[in-house]
Amino acid sequence: MKIIYSWLKEFIGTGLSAAQAQDALTMAGVEVSSCRFLGEGMEDVVVAKILAQGRHPNADKLSLCRVTDGSAEYGIVCGAKNMKPGDVVALARTGAKLPNGVEIRKAKIRGEVSEGMLCSEMELGLSEESAGILILPAETPLGKPLADAIGLSDWLLEVEITPNRGDCLSVLGVAREIAAITGEKIRLPAISLRESGPTIASLATVTVTDWGLCPRYSARAITGVKIAPSPDWMQRRLSLCGIRPINNIVDITNYLLLEVGQPMHAFDLDRLAGRSIDVRRSGVPRKFVTLDGAERDILPEMLLIWDGEGPVAVAGVMGGQNTEVLPDTGRVLFESAHFSPASIRWTSRRLGLSSESSYRFERGVNPGMTMYAADRAVSLLSRFASFETARGTIDVGGERDFSRTVGFRPARAGRIIGRDCTETECKAVFSRLDFPVEGDGPGRLSVTVPPHRFDIEREIDLVEEVARLTGYDKIPVTYPESGAPEFSPDDRFAKVLEDASEFLRGQGFTQAINFAFVSEKEWERHKALLGFDASDAIRLSNPISDDTTMMRPSLLMGMLHNVASNVRRFIEDVRLFEVGKAFGKSLADGHYEEPRLAFVLYGNRLPGDWGGGQAAVDFYDAKGVAESLHGFLGAIPVHFVPASSRPYLESGKSADILKDGQTIGWVGAVRRELVSALDIPGAVFYGEIRIGAAAAVTPPPAQYRPVPKFPPVSRDVACILPAHVPVGDVLAMVSELSPEIESASVFDIYMGEKIGEGNKSVAFRVKIQPSDRTLTDAEVHSIHTKIVKLLENRFGGKIRTS
Amino acid sequence: MTDAAGRVQELSDAGLRALESARTESDLLEVKGRYFGKKGAISEILKTVASLPVEEKKRIGAAANEARAALESAFDAKLSRIREQERVAREGKERVDVTLPGRAPAAGRRHPVSRTMGEIIATFQRLGFSVRGGPEIEKDYYNFEALNIPKDHPARDMQDTFYIDGMGGDLVLRTHTSPIQIRTMEAMRPPVRVIAPGAVYRCDSDVTHSPMFHQVEGFAVDRSATMADLKGLLTEFCRMMFGPELPLRFRPSYFPFTEPSAEVDIRCVICRGAGCRVCKTSGWLEILGCGMIDPSVFGFVGYDPETYTGFAFGMGVERIAMLRHGISDIRLLFENDLRFLSQFQP
Ligand SMILES: [Zn+2]
Repeated sequence: MKIIYSWLKEFIGTGLSAAQAQDALTMAGVEVSSCRFLGEGMEDVVVAKILAQGRHPNADKLSLCRVTDGSAEYGIVCGAKNMKPGDVVALARTGAKLPNGVEIRKAKIRGEVSEGMLCSEMELGLSEESAGILILPAETPLGKPLADAIGLSDWLLEVEITPNRGDCLSVLGVAREIAAITGEKIRLPAISLRESGPTIASLATVTVTDWGLCPRYSARAITGVKIAPSPDWMQRRLSLCGIRPINNIVDITNYLLLEVGQPMHAFDLDRLAGRSIDVRRSGVPRKFVTLDGAERDILPEMLLIWDGEGPVAVAGVMGGQNTEVLPDTGRVLFESAHFSPASIRWTSRRLGLSSESSYRFERGVNPGMTMYAADRAVSLLSRFASFETARGTIDVGGERDFSRTVGFRPARAGRIIGRDCTETECKAVFSRLDFPVEGDGPGRLSVTVPPHRFDIEREIDLVEEVARLTGYDKIPVTYPESGAPEFSPDDRFAKVLEDASEFLRGQGFTQAINFAFVSEKEWERHKALLGFDASDAIRLSNPISDDTTMMRPSLLMGMLHNVASNVRRFIEDVRLFEVGKAFGKSLADGHYEEPRLAFVLYGNRLPGDWGGGQAAVDFYDAKGVAESLHGFLGAIPVHFVPASSRPYLESGKSADILKDGQTIGWVGAVRRELVSALDIPGAVFYGEIRIGAAAAVTPPPAQYRPVPKFPPVSRDVACILPAHVPVGDVLAMVSELSPEIESASVFDIYMGEKIGEGNKSVAFRVKIQPSDRTLTDAEVHSIHTKIVKLLENRFGGKIRTS
Repeated sequence: MTDAAGRVQELSDAGLRALESARTESDLLEVKGRYFGKKGAISEILKTVASLPVEEKKRIGAAANEARAALESAFDAKLSRIREQERVAREGKERVDVTLPGRAPAAGRRHPVSRTMGEIIATFQRLGFSVRGGPEIEKDYYNFEALNIPKDHPARDMQDTFYIDGMGGDLVLRTHTSPIQIRTMEAMRPPVRVIAPGAVYRCDSDVTHSPMFHQVEGFAVDRSATMADLKGLLTEFCRMMFGPELPLRFRPSYFPFTEPSAEVDIRCVICRGAGCRVCKTSGWLEILGCGMIDPSVFGFVGYDPETYTGFAFGMGVERIAMLRHGISDIRLLFENDLRFLSQFQP
């Protein structure tokens, strides 16, 4: 919200400069994000007059103007259409740097020299929109700096109002806030009204049927008014605050909205059927055309303003076209009412229609101020328009007292804030806020909260007032008492993720973070390849784009896209990992989500290696990562079995990872069809680990075994096995053959013609290590024999001797 | 003179010459064997003088010992010279290019957001907080209602919410990690002291807003938690994160689930307070929001607000990471471009 400093000063004769006010308000919780001097950038903008206007020879949309600033003449190329010779305008001479950042230089525009620019209000920072250049009153002295001529020695404050402080959405509200900070006094503009017309009762009647949604409805009526533009100063203030001036009647209602925060509405009294007003809900669904010309779907619960025949306004949101003030309007009824915030917000949301009025009503408008605002509007209007003011007022609900009483204990404030808060100190704050205070027993105060402070209903709300108005800088710095430290399972999980990341970084993987929402269209397109089950999908009802419609069922596509985009950027080796959640209706715990760790490999085995590392990565690189990661995390033993149901992995080159019989992950080559669909030129290997399950059990501390004192013996066995025999199974069984066998490993594998189709030659090395003695040759031989027998009998192997 | 002494002298001279011309260690050993080894020429001479008179034997023996000593020392000198030459030659031949890259996987990099988040968590863990997680698909009740943000309340405008389609109509993507406050307090009695990191979602996207980002929320409830404690704790945190010298300020603000509420600003790290584009000329940067937990939140979890007080704080991890690394566009953080990610030390 924008606040003009000179306007603010009309309500409080504060000693604070604009910059000081900015700082003081910000530190009291009403953030002023900027404070702009309106004369800034106006140094070279002067008042000038158009002498002649002609067409630009080379451009239909441009005109050539001769202008004078009283001492010199300038040729100006101008794109606007709203001026004529004799008009007084704002001329930015060469060298000017306008508030919108534009620098004015002498320039040739389509072949014609322009020695400056004729400015619009928008270019001068005086409004947010403008239809053409600024035309000044004819009597404005030529050559005078524009800032002086139209009174721009002023500041514009941009104030950010939090949702609880609807009371600050006006000049008066911000002035009250300054009063609460400095202790200076507010002064409300005096009302001077001369009632001379007929009685208001003879002109209009008001009934409030749904008084629960409209606790107060005040009105004033005027007759014999002539619709005209409002004075320049008022138009300027409205424009600076972002409201387009329309005519004297509409402008005065908007002016009061900005000034005291009271949304008002002006009805053309002669267009109100039966000259009667009722406030009640719609009751049935209906169509209604608002001021902006749009037809609205009104729901039964929405509060409307009615005349004798039908609805004339959506209460507190927007008036209707049927009763708006027109150029020939002569009699006007000013509505100044209070509507319940929740009802207005509900209506505004359902209609998708937010206005300056509804914005304020939603946040709370002072019900105690409605009559003052109507009086002020008529009083102010009478300074520049002639009309008769109807005698008397309408004020339904005006007798009610809208203030509240809230109990307060200074000691409670002290306990929350963390320092002693004396009664005297607290009372001083309430006095600056203009909250009357009475004693209410020992240590208790009874504080009367005026109706504009909607946000204050409870003791804690008053504690906040004391804290912020005595200053947060006065709060001491202490340290919380240390409770017993607690190490939660989530602490452990966080550590597991840290460790896993650390390990993967050591393996050359860089961490990626992808959005958790993905494109369902894409998953649908590759449905079969991805094994995507649309009935398990979790969708957003309001996605931000077509690419983010569904919560990801797996981290796969994000990582594949990462590979693809890096490859497109000429990166040859991609190793990425990501930790994040996968989502699906079938996932556990009613949360539909599960943490996963995914990694992807693409390119060379040892990127950057100049020796032997240039081979492309293969399945075993990916498996190695998964295997040693689990080892690193203590999540062992894990077993790799051929993957059964991962359509996005090549069936011959993928494995499920099992731990304690449960699938905790999968790893393998991404299906070639998927890789080529993403234009990735080579093989991609991918692993995804259900990291919560993998890390579920803390491994027990490793137990010491004596280190062997006797030398080990190695035996190599080369064996031709049928190609389908899983070597992992062989190794596992060999290891189990005898307690003396410490390990069994493979050091060579050969497949080729020499050993025949369907066979592979595998060379095993078995390390035999007894703990308590040196083995005899006979013992070693016996173990060797067992191994040979196992290979031959169990796996159909043929021992090679060479 | 061809007597034995003369022979010794001749042999000694010849041996020295032979040693001098030896090229390799084996040449040298050969010379030694020939002239002054156990079966060398000088030893042979000594055998032939056994029949001579004692005086003569002594004289020749002395001459032989002297000659042998001279040869031994020449031998040693020559041997070490040859070995040194061989060492130099070998090392020259086997020299490696120490500037070629070492053989190891190139170290990967941690994502700057994850790194910053890790540091925030570690800092609060040191200050006695423990970690709690929570679901990202959250019930409206936990994300809003129990945090004192009723339906049709203007505070809902502060956070543009993603809603989950169907599934009971009551689920949202959490807009903050604050629901973990409620879930924790439902599960535990005070004292609690918890830090809640995680991904959050808001329907907003531009240079400084991402529809998914990360937050760390923290809160503590005890019999005597105060705003002064909160100020102390966060002052300490900012010192650890941004350095001990950086000024900070607490400024009143509004959050529906805390009261009184505050915004913590640090002195702009870009312009040091002079005013710049990043701090919108204010010289200050908002980095976290905080406040005393609102009594009505305690009402939702059954804590007695007269017995317990508590505070809560929350911060956006991306914002802090961007400030620390000088990143101006939040979208860079989610493109996973290795040319970007590899700029950050692991
Ligand atoms: Zn700055």
